Amino acid sequence: MAFNLRDRGADIWDRAPRSGRIAIALSAMLFAICLPFLGGTFLNTPISSYEAVLVYPVGLFVLMALGLNIVVGKSGLLDLGYVAFFAIGAYTMAILGTHTGLNFWEILPIGIALAMLSGVILGLPTLRLRGDYLAIVTLGFGEIVRIVALNTMSIGGPNGIANIPNPPKFLSLEYTLQNQKAYYWTVLFLIFLVIWMIRRVSTRRPGRAWESIRQDEDVADLMGVKTLKYKIWAFAVGAAIGGAGGVVFAAKSMFVAPEMFTLNTSILILACVVFGGMGNIWGVITGAVILSYLPERIRFISDARLLIFGLTLVVMMNLRADGILPRKKRERSYHS
Amino acid sequence: MTNVLELKNITMQFGGVVALNDVSLSVKQGEILALIGPNGAGKTTVFNVITGVYTPTAGQILLGDGVSLVGKKKWQITEQGVARTFQNVRLFGEMTALENVITAGDVRSKSGFVGSLLGLPRSRREEKQNREKALELLKFMGIEDSAHKLGKNLAYGDQRRLEIARALGTQPKLLLLDEPAAGFNPSEKVALGNTIKKIRDAGYTVLLIEHDMSLIMGISDRVIVLDFGMKIADDSPTNVQNDPRVIEAYLGVPADAS
Amino acid sequence: MEVWSVDFSVLFDQFFALTIDGIALGFIYSLIALGYTMVYGVLRLINFANSEVFMLGTFATIMTSKNIFGYADDSEPLTGWKLVYTLLACMIISMLVCAIAGVLVEIIAYRRLRKNGSNRLTTLISAIGVSIVISETVRILTSSAPANNPRLLDKIFLVSYEGTKFHLFKFEIPVSAFELRLDTLLVIIFAIVLLVSVDRFVKHSRLGKGIRAVSMSEENSQLMGVNLNKVISSTFFIAGLMTGAAAFFYTTVYESTKFNVGFELGLAAFTAAVLGGIGNLRGAFFGGISLGLLEIYAATIFGTQWKAVTAFVVLVLVLLFKPNGLFGESLQKARV
Repeated sequence: MAFNLRDRGADIWDRAPRSGRIAIALSAMLFAICLPFLGGTFLNTPISSYEAVLVYPVGLFVLMALGLNIVVGKSGLLDLGYVAFFAIGAYTMAILGTHTGLNFWEILPIGIALAMLSGVILGLPTLRLRGDYLAIVTLGFGEIVRIVALNTMSIGGPNGIANIPNPPKFLSLEYTLQNQKAYYWTVLFLIFLVIWMIRRVSTRRPGRAWESIRQDEDVADLMGVKTLKYKIWAFAVGAAIGGAGGVVFAAKSMFVAPEMFTLNTSILILACVVFGGMGNIWGVITGAVILSYLPERIRFISDARLLIFGLTLVVMMNLRADGILPRKKRERSYHS
Repeated sequence: MTNVLELKNITMQFGGVVALNDVSLSVKQGEILALIGPNGAGKTTVFNVITGVYTPTAGQILLGDGVSLVGKKKWQITEQGVARTFQNVRLFGEMTALENVITAGDVRSKSGFVGSLLGLPRSRREEKQNREKALELLKFMGIEDSAHKLGKNLAYGDQRRLEIARALGTQPKLLLLDEPAAGFNPSEKVALGNTIKKIRDAGYTVLLIEHDMSLIMGISDRVIVLDFGMKIADDSPTNVQNDPRVIEAYLGVPADAS
Repeated sequence: MEVWSVDFSVLFDQFFALTIDGIALGFIYSLIALGYTMVYGVLRLINFANSEVFMLGTFATIMTSKNIFGYADDSEPLTGWKLVYTLLACMIISMLVCAIAGVLVEIIAYRRLRKNGSNRLTTLISAIGVSIVISETVRILTSSAPANNPRLLDKIFLVSYEGTKFHLFKFEIPVSAFELRLDTLLVIIFAIVLLVSVDRFVKHSRLGKGIRAVSMSEENSQLMGVNLNKVISSTFFIAGLMTGAAAFFYTTVYESTKFNVGFELGLAAFTAAVLGGIGNLRGAFFGGISLGLLEIYAATIFGTQWKAVTAFVVLVLVLLFKPNGLFGESLQKARV
């Protein structure tokens, strides 16, 4: 009998009374919030600033992995161009931040909306395609976005856009390059929001639609599931999340350039989803944390990071296609 | 009696192969209509054409109220009231039995993504109603004990019953059953026959493909025989069984008639 | 904003020369496209790793001339018998390297998944993983530096015509320039030989029939006594041979390679395969030539920085409007 971490965790969760669950959830959230203060421990990263690492890649990868998980993990749609939405969000922040007087908080919904819109525009013609073709087309889309950014001088061309303004002070929190805590907590807030959203929607009609599409799309169609509509929703929501991440990234880095948004990043995020456990929120978070944090912590694998991701993909698919925390395998009692 | 479904001059051609050749048939409200024929006669093709998996090369498909199904998307056809089961069981194996049926019931819900996300009252109401209806259907098919078992872990007989429950979950007017008794032993077949009658008595109309003659004789009001994509008989079970053309098509009585 | 300019004058001036270049490039694409299309035919799998196998072939070509034969970047071109056997050696070694690499990829990355009956998504991800592993390994080994091919075959112009204008009544009618290089001509000739050979092999040989049987129905061909593993390995072997030949031609004509050369070429070749109808051998040929011409013309009209986008745009358009390609049969329908 294989040891299934996720099911053990689910067991503990199920058996706990309501107060116990609230306690577990709160302590987990508290731990996540306090992470920036643990920079002095063994968690410290040798080369880059610990706090900066928490924001990018760790925090933002977790966020993006959650977004891609909806598309790939839950709905079974292979998107190889996810970085495009990240880029669209980032460039929105960059362009509006440097050309208009809008601040981060005002630009964030715009960036999300634009990313979402591009997700829908991409999805409408392509989501009728079969799996392999969808993968290639999305890969093409990601590359086209990057190449257009590279060749369009009015948005910086290969030099990108610099001097993107930091977000204004929030309550008493300052967003600065030196002190990244505020950025981290912003990303964390987005992560909590996304987790809440996904859990809510998963037990209801959209979640069922996505699951049925993933498991057997033809039969889902015949059972009356509006597959195209929900596939586009998956794309749109995934894109919105990617776009949100992009906006934060641009504000934090204060500089964007096309070379930051390559196919490699799309593959990295995919590796996080695959490694962690497709479809399973906690698996995906674990996968993203491990795959983004370790190369920063262990210097010598940093250069070989992509190689290790490639190996991860091959090994995981061959040995444990469900990931390290697979989605539920045994029956679980229905929660209403 | 009104017609629930009418096929008019349906021809289905794949390249050089004519799977259905000018087939016309009608399904009357409240009847159990059996569709039989030798293997390759085109029976499942009829189901595929009705449910929108294939678009017929020629001909019309009309529902009782005059709505044409040709060219509609599969989910639209289901929405219009046609649901089916499959020759090889195709459940959503990684969902529970209950979830399978609830998913089918979603076609009758009006709430969408935003409603579900925000937990709007209509969405919550529909969730609750859908779940209750699904449990009732599981009880109706006798598998309520397996409600929280994953589809792929159910016993074969329960899987077949779940497929029917799931199809019923879409609240169809017409239920298409594709060899529902495949793999059943004689007593299970009798039980299935009773269940199908129960379904008809509950107000559904049933069109079923089957090979077991005794099952068909026992429950069908009418039998249509296909051979090489053409209708060769359309009559009461007894008449069809004695029809020389039908006997010729089968080269005798099928092996598993008892 | 000159990157967005459109320039037709060069196209008209150099039309024939560009067409020859396009055809030669097209043949290279056709050979690689054969790799994709044959594997897709038997496995219904997009062999992502084919682009990296190509890249290995380019390095094999260079290493043969440099490490085995001892030539250097500044070596004098060869003539006569020496030229012939050196080039042949490079070509054959490149072909063998790619063939073996192809078979290894199948055994390591795909075979197990095929046996387990894994779904498409899993296999696709494994394919991507392998692709990354190969390209990253080479990147690390070469430190991202390009490798140059010694010019053993001199760039001789067999025909060179400058073009002229002649006058008819009041009109000035331009006659475009025309030139033909030896290496380009050889590529075209050898590619035709190889493509015809494969076509005849698949049509007439026993193994070829086995390949066609498997691509029509895996189950039935096994029932007919076809050794599935042997057929599949052979397919990868032949695909590798073709890709290796393409690698040799590419390296000879363009004279340099890098760890990431596979990506763009692989994508273009895949586009060619889809354009011709994936799974269709003759389609690979037509798709390759068409795409080669399209790319050269587009690069001339819009500028070379848009060359990569051409393949993507063609791919997206084909998949949206004619997913069966020019000659393919419908693979999209689901059977219920």
